[in-house]
Amino acid sequence: MTRQERTAWLFSAPVLAIIVLVFIVPTALAMALSVTDYSIYALADWSNLRFVGLGNFADLLSTPLFWRALGNTALFAVLGVPMAIGTSLAVALLLNDVTVHWKPLWRVLLFAPYVTSVVATAVVWRFLFNERFGLINRALNAVGVTPIDWLGNPATSIPAILIFVTWKIFGYNMIVFTAALSAVPQDLMEAARLDGAGLWGRFRHVTLPAIGPTLLLAAVMSVAGFLQIFAEPYVMTLGGPAQSTTTVLYFMFDEGFKWWNLGQASAVAFILFLMILALTIVQTRIGRRYEWL
Amino acid sequence: MSYEGDYSPLLMPPFTAATGIPVEVQSLPTTASHEKLLTAQAGGAMPDVLMLFNGWIQEFATIGAIAPVPTPALVADMFPGVLAATRIKGRDYAVPWSVAPQVQFYRRDILRQAGYETPPGDWDGWRTMARAIKRRRPDDFVFMMLLNWPTALINMLSQAGAVLLRDRDTRGNFQTTEARMTFAYYASLFADGFAPRALSTEVQDPVAAFAQGFFAIWPSGPPTLLDFKRRANELPVDRWSTARIAGPHGPGRLSGLSTSLCVSTTTSRPAEAWALVRHLSSASSELRYQRLIGNLPARASAWSSPQLAAPVLAPFAEQMREPAFSPPVIEWERIQIEIQLAAERVVRGLQTIDQALAALDTRVDRLLAKRRALVEAGKLA
Repeated sequence: MTRQERTAWLFSAPVLAIIVLVFIVPTALAMALSVTDYSIYALADWSNLRFVGLGNFADLLSTPLFWRALGNTALFAVLGVPMAIGTSLAVALLLNDVTVHWKPLWRVLLFAPYVTSVVATAVVWRFLFNERFGLINRALNAVGVTPIDWLGNPATSIPAILIFVTWKIFGYNMIVFTAALSAVPQDLMEAARLDGAGLWGRFRHVTLPAIGPTLLLAAVMSVAGFLQIFAEPYVMTLGGPAQSTTTVLYFMFDEGFKWWNLGQASAVAFILFLMILALTIVQTRIGRRYEWL
Repeated sequence: MSYEGDYSPLLMPPFTAATGIPVEVQSLPTTASHEKLLTAQAGGAMPDVLMLFNGWIQEFATIGAIAPVPTPALVADMFPGVLAATRIKGRDYAVPWSVAPQVQFYRRDILRQAGYETPPGDWDGWRTMARAIKRRRPDDFVFMMLLNWPTALINMLSQAGAVLLRDRDTRGNFQTTEARMTFAYYASLFADGFAPRALSTEVQDPVAAFAQGFFAIWPSGPPTLLDFKRRANELPVDRWSTARIAGPHGPGRLSGLSTSLCVSTTTSRPAEAWALVRHLSSASSELRYQRLIGNLPARASAWSSPQLAAPVLAPFAEQMREPAFSPPVIEWERIQIEIQLAAERVVRGLQTIDQALAALDTRVDRLLAKRRALVEAGKLA
């Protein structure tokens, strides 16, 4: 090892040590837990702990609620990612338009929900979604729509939470997109305009290739975020009605922290990890194909 | 937890004055307290003295978190039924403290319009009354039974005499006539529009809803007394009263959300901890607490006080003499939630009663698998 290498290791050692301590060791321990039947009985007496191999995984796959949670999470991701990214991009494009005045003010206002507390805003949104007194139903009523029991109907609970989540998080990607849009070459844009390209043509062939890498990053982060959605259903509906908003992470929280079945909960965590990893690999492949990476 | 947590600091100054021991009170949110306390036990961070819902005592005793009561004198003067609910295999692990039997709070004015001075005490009568109220107030409801809050349903099951676990409490026993009948009655209250299909997250302010007449009958516990006292300007005191909860053929045994005081096995000051328990569960502290939050004293000698003679307290006092007993399994807290989920599926029309009860048996059998294995291996009585 050269002196330079030694110095490099020395400088990175503290960070590496922390990563090992707070990331690698707990992950390894969680994986070890996932092949045991660690439960409240093991907390009472260690001799009740058994090695169960893949038993937790087999158990999970035959638990209807786990499949339900997977389905709910998939629905959150499939609807939520386009909703959140679409809103961010649309708002960023609007804000990027030269005719918009007071841009910094708009940016601050639209970014504000992102930095507010989930619990506080969830309480407000619960009032907005109220079937009887909620502003949303009042507005719908004004245009002749019958009241919807947003958070009390298993069919509308996920869309309702997604509306809240989109409102809450679109500001972040909006700022990222605004930065990316400012890098779109204006001379190309003008050339396209002179060549007679319409609004869609210019977006498709000038804007999109320029912001492609940013879009990919936003998609990867959003997919990972939506697959781990927990706080919003927890504060809005407690996983209800009829477990229609119980997500994989919610299921894991209940199993692990509420009922102390840490073996089972670790198995869920491991499955979730594999899912996110697989999806990210697919997204990177797609990104490579379009040369965004 | 609950108002007990918010108001117990007021009971501490006399203790500190008498003993010189400062007490720090930490209040936990009720819905998160179970997991917080388990985590505290696993992490070695238990408080010296803690309050537990009676249904959790078995669990915390099993994991070795709470110490047995050192002297019988501490529990000498307790109501026998209340004390029995906190006893594990003949040993006392907790000192009963705040008794919270469920009663029905009812709107006197709404009932009077429908021709009732007091609500009936049996299920058929409840339904007849509900029909009369609903006819006059079609946009409102009669009962408040939250769809994710198991107490009302568990009480109905216990009043109907359903035995919910079998084979030494290692398997679910839900496909019985009693359980079927109870589920059918419970679901019919929703199907007939007498109770709203609502979760606790949807009814943000049940007191205001009760005051506005959104519902007329609210099965609830003594903390509601404090809520009503605080908000007497919204809900004048002559508009409501209490009665025992209706059962299939009249009021019967009910479990409540009563709490007890326990001492952690890991406390470094057991003598002081038990001294604090003695102070908090003394008749004078119990009476002061009753004035503050409404919950009733577990100590029989406290009941000679005129303070407990108020008419609205009479149904509570009767009900606490007839407690119901939950199966002594540590999974019980979770099983109750599963029962409620099964009922919610029936109420929302996602499953028939037979499907829901069969699924419930399967689910509970699974939850009890570990317990079953331990019982069969003779490691658990």
